[in-house]
Amino acid sequence: MAECHPVGFRWVMEAKNRGATIIHVDPRFTRTSAVADLHVPLRAGSDIAFLGGLVRYVIENDRWFHDYVVNYTNAATIIDESFRDTEDLEGLFSGFDTEKGKYSWETWSYEGVSGIVPAAGHKHVYGEKGSGMSEPGGGDMTQRHTDPTLQHPRCVFQLLKRHFSRYTPEMVSELCGIPQDLFLQVAETLCRNSGRDRTGAFCYAVGWTQHTVGVQYIRTAAILQLLLGNMGRPGGGIMALRGHTSIQGSTDIPTLFDLLPGYLPMPHASLPDEGALKEYIERNGSPTGWWSEMHKYIVSLCKAYFGAAATRENDYLFDLMPRISAGLSHMATVAKMADGGVKGYFVMGENPTVGSMHGALHRAGMRKLDWLVVRDFTLIETAEFWRVAPEITRGEVKTEDIQTEVFFFPAATHTEKDGSFTNTQRLLQWHHKAVEPPEDCRSDLQFTYDLGRRLQKLYEGSREERDRAIQALNWDYPVHGPLREPDAEAVLKEISGYTVADGRPVSGFGELKDDGTTASGCWIYSGCYANGVNQPARRKPTTEQHWVAPEWGWSWPSNRRILYNRASADPDGRPWSERKRYVWWDEEKKRWTGYDVPDFIVDRPPSYRPPENAQGIATIAGNDPFIMQADGKGWLFAPSGLLDGPFPTHYEPQESVVENALYSQQCNPARIEWRRRDNPYHLAFGDPRFPYVVTTYRLTEHHTAGGMSRWLSWLAELQPAMFCEVSPELAAEKGLENGKWATISTARGEIEARVLVTRRMKPLRVRGRMVHTIGLPYHFSYLGRVTGDPANELISFVADPNVAIQESKALTANIRAGRHSFGRRSVTDGIELRLPQPQRDVPRDLPRIRTREPAEPRRR
Amino acid sequence: MDPLNQAEARHDGRNIDPDIGLLAAEGSTQKARDATVHPARATYEEIAAAAREEEGTSYYGLPVLCEPVWNWMIPAYFFTGGLAGACAVLGGAVQAMGGRGTDLVRRCRLVAAGGSIVSAGLLIADLGRPSRFVNMLRVFRPSSPMNMGTWVLSGFGACSAASILPEVLAVRRGGRAGRLLATRRRSPRWIALAADRAGYGAAAFGLPLVGYTGVLLANTAVPVWQQTRHTLPVLFAFSGAVSAGALFDVWPPRRGSGIAHRFGLLARGAEVAASAALDREASTVPRVARPLRHGVSGAMLNTARAMLVGSLLSEILPLPRRAKRIASGTLALVGTALLRFGIVQAGRASARDPHATFEMQRAGRGAGEVVRRGDEPGAGMPALHGVGATGEESVQHGATP
Amino acid sequence: MPELRQMGFFTDTTLCIGCKACEVACKQWNQLPDDGFSFTGMSYDNTGHLGASTWRHVAFVERETPLPGQGSPRDGAQAGAGAFAELRPLGQPPPTSLLGGNIAPSHIESPVPLGPTARALSKFSWLMMSDVCKHCERAGCLEACPTGAIMRTEFGSVYVQPDVCNGCGYCVSACPFGVIDRREDDGRAWKCTLCYDRLKGGMVPACAQACPTASIQFGEIDDLRARAAERVTQLRSRGVEDAYLYGESAASQPGTEGLHAFFLLADKPETYNLPPDPVVPTTKIVKSWGAMAAGVLSLAALALAAAAAPSRTRWTL
Repeated sequence: MAECHPVGFRWVMEAKNRGATIIHVDPRFTRTSAVADLHVPLRAGSDIAFLGGLVRYVIENDRWFHDYVVNYTNAATIIDESFRDTEDLEGLFSGFDTEKGKYSWETWSYEGVSGIVPAAGHKHVYGEKGSGMSEPGGGDMTQRHTDPTLQHPRCVFQLLKRHFSRYTPEMVSELCGIPQDLFLQVAETLCRNSGRDRTGAFCYAVGWTQHTVGVQYIRTAAILQLLLGNMGRPGGGIMALRGHTSIQGSTDIPTLFDLLPGYLPMPHASLPDEGALKEYIERNGSPTGWWSEMHKYIVSLCKAYFGAAATRENDYLFDLMPRISAGLSHMATVAKMADGGVKGYFVMGENPTVGSMHGALHRAGMRKLDWLVVRDFTLIETAEFWRVAPEITRGEVKTEDIQTEVFFFPAATHTEKDGSFTNTQRLLQWHHKAVEPPEDCRSDLQFTYDLGRRLQKLYEGSREERDRAIQALNWDYPVHGPLREPDAEAVLKEISGYTVADGRPVSGFGELKDDGTTASGCWIYSGCYANGVNQPARRKPTTEQHWVAPEWGWSWPSNRRILYNRASADPDGRPWSERKRYVWWDEEKKRWTGYDVPDFIVDRPPSYRPPENAQGIATIAGNDPFIMQADGKGWLFAPSGLLDGPFPTHYEPQESVVENALYSQQCNPARIEWRRRDNPYHLAFGDPRFPYVVTTYRLTEHHTAGGMSRWLSWLAELQPAMFCEVSPELAAEKGLENGKWATISTARGEIEARVLVTRRMKPLRVRGRMVHTIGLPYHFSYLGRVTGDPANELISFVADPNVAIQESKALTANIRAGRHSFGRRSVTDGIELRLPQPQRDVPRDLPRIRTREPAEPRRR
Repeated sequence: MDPLNQAEARHDGRNIDPDIGLLAAEGSTQKARDATVHPARATYEEIAAAAREEEGTSYYGLPVLCEPVWNWMIPAYFFTGGLAGACAVLGGAVQAMGGRGTDLVRRCRLVAAGGSIVSAGLLIADLGRPSRFVNMLRVFRPSSPMNMGTWVLSGFGACSAASILPEVLAVRRGGRAGRLLATRRRSPRWIALAADRAGYGAAAFGLPLVGYTGVLLANTAVPVWQQTRHTLPVLFAFSGAVSAGALFDVWPPRRGSGIAHRFGLLARGAEVAASAALDREASTVPRVARPLRHGVSGAMLNTARAMLVGSLLSEILPLPRRAKRIASGTLALVGTALLRFGIVQAGRASARDPHATFEMQRAGRGAGEVVRRGDEPGAGMPALHGVGATGEESVQHGATP
Repeated sequence: MPELRQMGFFTDTTLCIGCKACEVACKQWNQLPDDGFSFTGMSYDNTGHLGASTWRHVAFVERETPLPGQGSPRDGAQAGAGAFAELRPLGQPPPTSLLGGNIAPSHIESPVPLGPTARALSKFSWLMMSDVCKHCERAGCLEACPTGAIMRTEFGSVYVQPDVCNGCGYCVSACPFGVIDRREDDGRAWKCTLCYDRLKGGMVPACAQACPTASIQFGEIDDLRARAAERVTQLRSRGVEDAYLYGESAASQPGTEGLHAFFLLADKPETYNLPPDPVVPTTKIVKSWGAMAAGVLSLAALALAAAAAPSRTRWTL
């Protein structure tokens, strides 16, 4: 965190100063480890084993927060008897379809409840249960069976206990390559620091997410935090540290392919043409929990999109919304591109040939495009893929043979435009323009707005059905200044929402209606422009308000600084302890109150229990803090919303140095593979050609793909060259010299880097053998003030099933001293790289579920 | 590097487009033509690669001090200044002993005057901003030997110039420049008188001029120079004298060459003694003395010493007197010049070596010498548990290069 | 004449996370050129040392010894916001004291003791230190400067006037810390100005403003000294026996009579490339002048002797 989020890390340092204990879990010793109390150097890709070990420790030693777990989680809920755990199926859950290589969810559900709609999860793409592609809505939660004593063999708690029974300290130590007493120390520290009086927080970044089991990493942490009672309480929670200033914002108001703003699912192609809206709401809404309100949000969204044209009669033009039929994730798109299936590509503020996995395949894809639009500060590698790339240098690709037309638009920086950032704690902070953008530089807002205007002009006269969406689009914002910049605050106001009649900003999503009288661009942001005030622009210093500082910026939803904060009070609404007092029930006023905005129905007493056949938010009981969930409980067991199991399970990375010690199933069975000639994989484990673990990361001195740092002398001089970090032991083994050169290679390609021999890289003893890790920063590429080979050229296309994220934090590779790279890439020079073929083949999946080569992309 | 990429890169090392960004800050006037700031110095890369662990705690073997930025002109100036100064002194002495107006005196004066001009030239040329030479005379700062030296040199220059007034005038009065020295014609009495006074003045300024360069070096953080601050000025003084004497061995005046020769011989003796003393003073901390014996500087200094002795020995060779003098004179001249270069080179090496600084100070020769602070050396110095004040460790500490 | 204020830096290396924000902020504010792009292989340090165009420099020290006190119990309450209280612009109250001083006691954590294994486990530590011009109470560069280009400002800082400096390079050799240096392609000597221009405008120096963890603290020296002393006791109470202050007073560093930019270190000065007992050369120079005087006088004597001695040469005038 100190490495990639130094400014946020100031608060960690303050916490440390106030007595907090900092534990850092990372394969390498970083700037964070330098100031942490404990550093746990585990093997990249073994985190679920580590966290699972902690879960087991908490359960076995009875250190879990009893009152919290029983009342606020689904621990007591009884699971359908058809459910089978990995314990029974050698690492698979029940319901795995060997043909499709994917799970079905029937067996995972609560006993007596048909379908459950999760609050989150990209459920719609893959038509999982709850996405309502088959039956409408979710089942009736009031019908679920529970056992508050947690003794029932099929209650979630007992299943959880059994599921993690294998994750013993011995196993953790063997699998992660860390000493047992270190693990025990972490466990003990964590437990001691939890309960009524204390809370602990987890911070993670892409070191957890970029794996074929990425989502399950976070799930494990969530389970642990629920068991310890660290959710919805001050000093608790799980922070996703974001890699860019507004990544959080770009998922809230998504740049994602399968979501509408506010995490509303993208309409699916299977929706009927008639009554699509009704159907959509029935399928995706939940009869219980807060999600039962979603129809109001989708209607308000339609009103924001289509304005006056959207009426009750025409279903608010919902049928003009785009619909998806398949996973159109980044990798799926690029693979399609490489096969000539994509005409045009917009790249805005991104440098995929450097920042994304398998850059050579990206370039191959771009070569097949008709046109490519790049918006950035400078001519980045993505914009110059036709001029500067290894395959061009090698002459395998001739520039004149590339027919792609590239348009480059210089972009304005954040200091040259108004706008907001949404950070990891969902806090919106406004930034004001300091200077006009120079020359042709323009803000993304202006570019997008202008593009929309031109498109509308272009299709004005069109009679085509498919053009109606563009024609109907409500696309009119006031512009100002010499550059006719659209007013960012006007956009913020539309996002926040207003009443259609008089354009009065709404105070929050509570005001949104399903009758077309309100419009809101993103329901969770509703209220960020309440009373016509730009709430994110508030900058009242902490010294002038209490410690929660509610008047600095604005955080969604409803300026709540901690989500689900009703959990900070006990079932009766009293604070768990004086020290951890945060939100509580005020008996006199009969209201929830506290330092923060209560994340609960403000006048619903703790004693409230839903009556028979209650509907909608009436089903939320007074002790249901997790109101977004259909049952109001924190999910230890996820009956839906996940595509690779209700419980997290340790699987080895797609390419590993060792066999899975826990199950005979080596890798995540539901992972997405791209079996292509230009995307070769290593053996599942113990590949003789690639004996070392590689993990990639960022350095403080550079920013992601380098577009903002490699061109700037003041930053470039601080880390002037691509390098690889290796332990003295590995250096000795391979004759690597500090400061000299080394060549790192995988089946996808080979790169050169300077060698940095350091004790900060620690060889680990895993399953009886020494495992060396090679650390690679991924900032460098062929252009800029300082240059170097891009680490991501080494990484293959393989994805987690839930969010289709690549696996760039744990793979295998080879390293040797000297400069031996010929810039070979599997995309243009596959054969040479893949030889010599390994003699033996090692199964990734249990034999009985191996199937013939399927059409890609293929999940298994 | 990619050509287009190169072309796009600005070369002022700032990436500020003056059309957009205003260059107005403290460092904005700093010129940066090339990335390599000190071509003479080793890059950190090279040093770190060369650093050896057994030498003890240091930061990757990087120098703790900045290497002197002076180029060859400074040691050259030390030589010419010393020569000129010593000549003026000799001239003054002969004059005082009744040798007024002799060939020797005249030559001394001419060398002094010429030397002062050359010296000034070298000094100015070595400045980063030669045009600002006069700033040296903005202040009078006794704490700065360089400032003092500038004043001395100015005074010396003025006097020595005045002292050759008669000769100059003689030339102007139709005498050929070539016969500048041989001119018999008398200049008016008062001018001769003024010139004589100036001669004494030049001698007076000449004294500090021969010696102060030693102080100049001693008054730095460079270990070997600072350590030898008691002997360096003396060594430079005598070495200056040697060069003066030697000059007139190879370029003998028709009269008084004997005096000059004797002067030179005496000085040679003194210099040998002084350099021995310097060596002893430096040796109190072995690491500090290292560059005096080893490396390039060591070689230079040893050669210089050898030449000096050689010039003495050549006196007793069975050769014609003239040849002997030329031989010994040449040896001595080159030797004294080489000494200056050697000493400056030694300073570079010493500044480059962090352990010289560390060991000198741990041995109580940092502030410990000048400040009363307990009896044992290095008391009051930051001492960690497991580390004695003088630096020896019972526990392993510090960075491994 | 503005009232004289002794401002300075207190750099607490135990809070440094090596983000180099100070280095960049300094270069940006002062618009300094880069030092070239060479990969040194010295941990994460690629700028090496302070220089003519690097006025802040972060050192990275990889040690195979643990940092004592890491993982040991802590006294949260006594740390509070105090030790962290932020950069203080001249006299004014802190702009953004982290969480301010107004923390209800219930929000200050009491220590969570770690097990005994804690120390044994970290056999390695990574020290970081942001180095800067020390602005010595008695400055070698200032006393050596022959042009008077180097002066003492009303803030007690040592400042080089670029329009006066003629690049004689004498200060470069006179600085016992190797801070000031001459940029060859510029010809003048440069070093940290303690952001003289910012101080004039009542602002905090760029580096201190940019430091995210208050490792670099700026303020009046007396306050800083007090804060530093407090911090040392605190750290020692947490088991960091090695923590000590470097050059915070004339007593601890007589050679410079104390630094206006002093440091809290956790290892020998040599480890961070700092001299253990620095001394301003001029403190020793009187004797040197004396020696010279003796030398040149005996030289004069030699000359007279040589001239006086009986000679075959007869003076004919």
